[in-house]
Order: sequence, then structure tokens, then C-alpha cells
Amino acid sequence: MKTKTIEYNDGIVRQFLIASVFWGIVAMLVGVLIASQLAFHVLNFNTPWLTFGRLRPLHTNAAIFAFVGNMIFAGIYHSTQRLVRARLASDFLSQLHFWGWQLIIVAAALTLPLGFTRGKEYAELIWPINIAVVLIWVVFAINFFWTLAIRNEKSLYVAIWFYIATIITVAMLYITNHLQIPTSLTHSYPIFGGVQDGLVQWWYGHNAVAFFLTTPVLGIMYYYMPKAAERPIYSYRLSVVHFWSLVFIYIWAGPHHLLNTALPEWLQTLGMIFSLMLWAPSWGGMLNGLLTLRGAWNKLRTDPVLKFLAAGVTFYGMSTFEGPLMAIRSVNAVSHYTDWTIGHVHSGTLGWNSFMAAGMFYWLTPRLWNTKLYSTKLADIHFWIGMVGILLYIASMWVSGITQGLMLNAVTPDGTLAYPNFLEVVNSVRPMLHARILGGVLFLSGMILMAYNLFRTIRSGKPATATIEVQVPDVPAKEGMSLISGFLNPPVVYSFLLVLFGCGWGFAQGMVSAVSLVLLVETALVAMIHLGLSGKKWNDWYEKLLESWLPFTVLTFVAVVAGGMIQILPTVFYKQNAGADAPLQKVYTPLELAGRDIYIREGCYNCHSQMIRGLVGDVLRYGKSGRLTESIYDFPFQWGSKRTGPDLQRVGGKYPNIWHFQHLMDPRSTSVGSVMPNYPWLFKQVTDIPALGSKIRVLTGYGVPYPPRSPDAILQSCIDQAQGITEDLAKNGIKIGPEKEVIAVIAYLQQLGKYNEPAPAAPAASPAPKQASAN
Amino acid sequence: MNTNREHNEDGELRHHSYDGIQEYDKKLPNWWLFTLYGAIVFAAGYWAYYQWTEHMLPGYKQVEERLVQMQKNALNSGAPPTDLQLWNMGHDPAVVATGEKIFKTNCIACHGPELKGGIGPNLTDATWIHGGLPTNLYTTVTTGVATKGMPTWGPVLGPARIAEVVAFVISKNQTIEKPAK
Repeated sequence: MKTKTIEYNDGIVRQFLIASVFWGIVAMLVGVLIASQLAFHVLNFNTPWLTFGRLRPLHTNAAIFAFVGNMIFAGIYHSTQRLVRARLASDFLSQLHFWGWQLIIVAAALTLPLGFTRGKEYAELIWPINIAVVLIWVVFAINFFWTLAIRNEKSLYVAIWFYIATIITVAMLYITNHLQIPTSLTHSYPIFGGVQDGLVQWWYGHNAVAFFLTTPVLGIMYYYMPKAAERPIYSYRLSVVHFWSLVFIYIWAGPHHLLNTALPEWLQTLGMIFSLMLWAPSWGGMLNGLLTLRGAWNKLRTDPVLKFLAAGVTFYGMSTFEGPLMAIRSVNAVSHYTDWTIGHVHSGTLGWNSFMAAGMFYWLTPRLWNTKLYSTKLADIHFWIGMVGILLYIASMWVSGITQGLMLNAVTPDGTLAYPNFLEVVNSVRPMLHARILGGVLFLSGMILMAYNLFRTIRSGKPATATIEVQVPDVPAKEGMSLISGFLNPPVVYSFLLVLFGCGWGFAQGMVSAVSLVLLVETALVAMIHLGLSGKKWNDWYEKLLESWLPFTVLTFVAVVAGGMIQILPTVFYKQNAGADAPLQKVYTPLELAGRDIYIREGCYNCHSQMIRGLVGDVLRYGKSGRLTESIYDFPFQWGSKRTGPDLQRVGGKYPNIWHFQHLMDPRSTSVGSVMPNYPWLFKQVTDIPALGSKIRVLTGYGVPYPPRSPDAILQSCIDQAQGITEDLAKNGIKIGPEKEVIAVIAYLQQLGKYNEPAPAAPAASPAPKQASAN
Repeated sequence: MNTNREHNEDGELRHHSYDGIQEYDKKLPNWWLFTLYGAIVFAAGYWAYYQWTEHMLPGYKQVEERLVQMQKNALNSGAPPTDLQLWNMGHDPAVVATGEKIFKTNCIACHGPELKGGIGPNLTDATWIHGGLPTNLYTTVTTGVATKGMPTWGPVLGPARIAEVVAFVISKNQTIEKPAK
């Protein structure tokens, strides 16, 4: 044994902390702007890079990846070094991680407003940036696991478990949802289309919330809560149970974003029931946080850090109760596509993420700069205006969302819509949109106060270097457990068998299902008896596992990979156009494809869904409900997640070309009271026809049945179709060149909902609205 | 799991401490366990009930059945109005006022606030593309004219509101004469 002095790398923590505060303010500033745009359309300024459709992705990406991203990196790097008593493995990798991540953010902030997007929520960044994200994430992973490998603390604390789950799961999700083939330097098509893309997207989208916004912050809670409260963690075994149940169950819940849609029923059911089962594991985290405060509640009165942490954890509990509630099919029929979802997300991001961040920053800054917090009073004010801001925000979104849901679904006894005009619904919630802006402004003001407070704190101190003395054995200690013994032991084997027989019971039929049920019950009983007899041994095994990062990481990966495989693989290998009795989507013509890419560029999907749910209100308002086979050529899918405007799945042929022309120029000329931005630039810019060649080539590779065509033939096809539209417009006295982007957009919109009738052998299921041709 | 029986209120701290952080190993709260197991049992039951019984028709089939039922009910609620009935409604100020509201929210985008037309045709003159009898107007609004971009308002507004909006149009058009029946 020899004694070694270790100096922590706290410089990197300071960098990430400052970056997080800066990007947090930027993200919320953009948030306030886009919230205002929804209430006052003039704030779109008729400028492409300032329109809602392009700025909303900037807001979400900045809030998630820039603000929370930098925050969790600061928290992870700071707490991990102390929890494993080692300096971060590589100063170079740490710096590469920091600067790489900031560069990615800057690239995102430039490309998104310019309209470079993949058109998938929280995954909008274009492919070159995706590659950079993956590379930097790998740098982060190497730096982290390398630090674990050289640690001087044998056993891994619960915070580290959550960090491990974060790193491997985000990598898995991000890579899968970003599989794509480029068509140019700035454009690509995802390899999944239609329902497959929808499933993969929301498996990613839901678990970005789970493993980017939740698990790392839970880890952070497990370090800073007991530190600030100076109290022991409430329960170790609650940590164990809620960690494993959380990472296993969370991953299955993604399909709750697609309830009542054309997604196969079994997936919808899985999405709902796993969301319900997620309630208790989530609350396990809340309990362990809040109950750690027992005996320290009086400190809440004086310590802003604990105020923020306690409120943050409470908001976590609230939104993880609201989430399962909204995942119930019938509740979702009201809440989906409305402002309720927006309120739900913000009770998580403002209440949980931002408050946990604030608590951590107020705790860290004085310690990292070896000084005292500049003003406790200001921090208190931040807390209260932030709190009022959040409550205003989520309460107004509840009122607005439930109003929208009920009005849009309301049906009169004679089978018609009670509120047939969508704009009536839009305008009935306006006061709530104003209240939401106020809530956002209050919250942003709190953030600015925090930035000032931290700035003054930093000015009053000097960067501090923390060191510790550690005992290093002469011969490096071996990891506690080999991979094999990580797997071959009773707890893992029982868990594996339970999942296996559970799946056998749920997914198989007849005898296999019955036998699986018997085996399932039997295994559960045996496991319980065995636990009663050898609980102590199992506990020893788990403690041994905690001394071995590799088997632990592999087991975590196995736990998170199961749900995704079972849900996604059958859908990927299932031939989407297999059903002969199903309406088959028509292939986009080149001009329509160009229009579709403009639609995606402008971020129309942020406000318009293309999925008519199997609900009476939806069918009455928009037409026959959507089927799986009607979006098989959609790369990416455009089912959407919010209806600020009406659904567009069957808008094709509903209005004449001139209606769309005038509506895109000034939406209020055709739709009084609309909040949609004007799109004057579509009438000036020229459609990018030359890009279609490589786009069609990629889509053909995906199996879209395009006939082989020369570039000239593609051009001719575009000209022919565009001229058809311009001639029709000319009849109404409107002169415009066929090369303008608006013509391509009209061509796209007019074919939405077009399909080839199912084979005549099968009887039509319903009196489908006749598919009128656009011209 | 823990073999050390609890002696004081909080039980014993675990032997290990991480950067000064210690842990109790308290029992999982019963109500929390109940929530966890309850949700799992409910999930299994829900899965079995909806996957293996007739209760989970695909969503769109359920909706189609409900809509057919509703339309049947609506049909049974009365015969469509006659020319005379509609004309009379067009001269009843109360009905016209209701119709005006419906027109303002749904129709002025294409037919204009003064009914002089725009994207859609003028409704104040004597030219009627699809027939000028009150019942012709009623039918045109109900079924729409897909090729011209007139939406199918039948399932959207329903017969009562369509009659009211037609009454409003009649009140604004002096060329429609009182029909015989």
C-alpha cells in the first residue's frame, strides 16, 4: 500500500456548468418567443428562419441537449470523480468532449433555423451532426468507463448505476433512430418509413426523456440530495429495486405516443400497460429523494439548494404520475395532440430538470470557486418566481389542452361535430396561451437571476482545486466478478426466466402460452422461496456485482435492450404492404416528393398531424381513420404529435388549388383567426429539382417502386404536373411560375390521403370518402 | 435481505460510505409495493382481456360501427326539410341569426362576408350552378362538390345546422321566390 494524492479535474466541471447556464437561457428565450408566436402570429415576422416550424426544434434541442446535456455532464463528471475517488481518466478526452459538444450545439443553432432538418422530433439534426454527436458520445463513454476502470473506490454507488444506464442506452437509441442514407451533404432519408419509423422514433423519443432527462438526473439527485441535506440515503434496497425496474420497464412504454393510431393494437396495449407499470418504479426514485430529507426538512427554510432539489423531485413525482395517466387509451383520446402534452413535458423539464439543475448549480458554484454564494435572497426569489412560472405554465396548458380535447371530440346526438370549425377551438384557448407566455417569462427571469447570482459568486472567488489522499495497493486489485458469474447466478437467471415465460404467455398462443403461464407462476414461487432462504447470499452477490463495472454494464444493457427488440423487430420484418384488403398509399410523384421535403423543411409537422385516429371525433372531422398501409412510402413518417392546426392526412382534394395558394400566402385570408405563419418565401424560391435524382435513388433502394427515370424525365414529370397546377390557378386569375416552391407544396398537399383501392375481392369496410383528383 | 435487525427507528446504516454519503436499508413501503404489484397484475389482466377476447376490435372498426348507429339515429329523427320549410326558415329572424353565425364560422372563407363570392361562387345573385331551389342548396351543402373544392358539410354540421345556414343564404338572396310547397 502506498498513499497517493489525487487532484480532481474540476476545471471541466466549471466549463460544463457555465455552458449549461448560458444555453439554458438561450433555450428558454427561444421558448418564450415560440410561445408568443402561437398567440401572436405576427411574431413570425414573415421570415423563414424565425418561423415557429423552424424555431420549435431549436427550442427542444437546445433545452434537451444543450441545457440539460451540459448540466448532466457537469454533474456526472463532478460526482463520479468523488464517488470513485479518481481523477477523470483523460484531460484530453474531457476537453474534446466539452468543445465537441459545444460545436455540435452551435452547428444545431445554425442549421435548424436555416431549415436543415430530418423532420423527426428531437432528432432533427442533419446527418453530419449526427455523426459528430455519436463520436462525442463515444468520447464521453470512454472517458467515463476508463475512469471507472482506474477507480480507487471498489464499489459503485447508485448514482453511478444511473450514469451507466444513461450512457449505454442513449447510445443505443440515438444510433438506431439515426440510421439513414444521405442524399446530399445536408439531407438524408431515415431507413425506416411509415409505421416502422413511427415506432422507432417514439421508442427513441420517449426514452430520450427516460435516459437523457431522467436517469442521469436521478443519479445527480442521489449525489447532491444527501450532500446538501447531510442525511443518509433513505433506502439502499429501494435504490436497487427501483433502478432495475425503471430501466427494464421504461423502454417498453414508447408506443403510448401512438395510441389510437394505425399502430397495431398489441403494441398500443403494451405501450399503455408498461406506462402504468412504470408509475411505481418512478415514484421509487421520488421516495428515496424526498425521504432522504427526513430530519433535514427544517433546512428547506434557509437553504435554496434543498428548496430546489425538493421541489424538483416533487415535480418528478407529479409528472411521472401524470405520464401513466395520459398513457391510458381513453385519457389519451382527449390529451393527445393537445396542449396538455406540452404542459406535461414542461412540468418535467421546468419542474424536474431545471430545478434540479438550479439546486446543483447553487451547491456547486461556491464549492468550485471556493467562496460563498453571492446572495441567498436572490436564489430564494429565483425559486419563487420560477415556481409561480411553472405553475402558471402547466395550469394554463391543462385548461387549454383539456378544452381542446373535449371540444374537438365533442359529438352531437345526431352524429355530427359539436364544434365543426377547428378555428373555434384554436381561438377559445387564446387566454391560456397568453397565461403560458407569462409563465415562461417568469421562469426565464428566474434563470437570468440565477445567472447573475452565479456570476457574482464566481467573481468573488477563485477556481479551487480539490484533492484527496487515496491508498493504492501495490498490485492493482482485480475486478470483483467475471462476466460469466455476472450472468450465472440465481437473481439474473430467475429474472431472465420470468421475462422469457412472461413473453411466452403473452405473445404465444394455445399450449405454449398455457405452459408458459404455469412455468411463470412456478418460477415466481421458486424465486420467492429461494429469496427467503438465500436472501443474504443474493445480497452478497449484488454487492460483488457492484465492484465490477463491466458485468454491471452488460446486465444493464440486456435489461434495456429487451423491450426494444420485442417491440421493434416484428414490425421491421413484417411486410407492411402484406394486407391485400388494405388501401395502399400512392407513390409520390417527383414534384410531390419535392413538396414533401419543403413541408418537412418548414417544420409543418410541428403543428399538423397526418394520422386520423380511430375515434369518432377524428373520423367525423378529417375522414376515414388512417391505416398502416397508407404511410409506407413516408420517409420519415409524418404522423405528428401535436395539432395546433388540423390533421392533414386526407386534406388532398378537400380544397381547390387556389385555396392552398392563398392560405399559404396569408392563412387568415381563408381561415379567419388562424395562428399559422405566412409563407411568402415559398412564392419566390425555386423548387430544388436537381436534388430529386439522388433522393429518388435512395428511396428506390428502400423499396419504393419508382420506375427508372433519367434526370430529364424527372424534370419533365415535374414540369407537367406543375403546369397543371399553374394553369388551374391561372383560371382564377393568378399568375405564378411553375418552378416556385409553393407549387410543389400544393402538389404534395393535394395528394395527401390518396391511395390505391384495395383489391376488389375484399369488401370495402366503410363508405370511404371518394378520392377526388386535385385538378 | 438485511440480516441486521433494526434496533432504533431508522435501522442501521450500511457499512459502506461513498464520499461521505451513507445509506439506510429501510424496508420498501407497503403502499409502494402494492402500487408496483397492483400495476403488474392489472397489466397482465388487461393484456389477457383485450388480446384474447372479442373486446379489442381494431379501433377503426369500433368507430365505423358507432358512426353507422349514429347516422341511423339521425335518419330516424325526421325527414329532410321541404322547399317551403326552408324558405319559411329563411324568413324567420331567429333562425336566420343562428344561420348567420354558422355561415360566419364556416363559409365566409370562400363565399366572402357579403356572400359575394371569392374562392367559391357568389350566393346573392340568380346564378345557381347546382340548382337554386332551397332543397338544392340544402343538398349541395350536405354532399359538397368535391371537384370544385366545396367540402362535404353533412357529417360536419348535421341536418339542423345545414338547414339554418341555408335559411341564412335564402334571407340574403332576393332572387329566390317562395316555393309552392
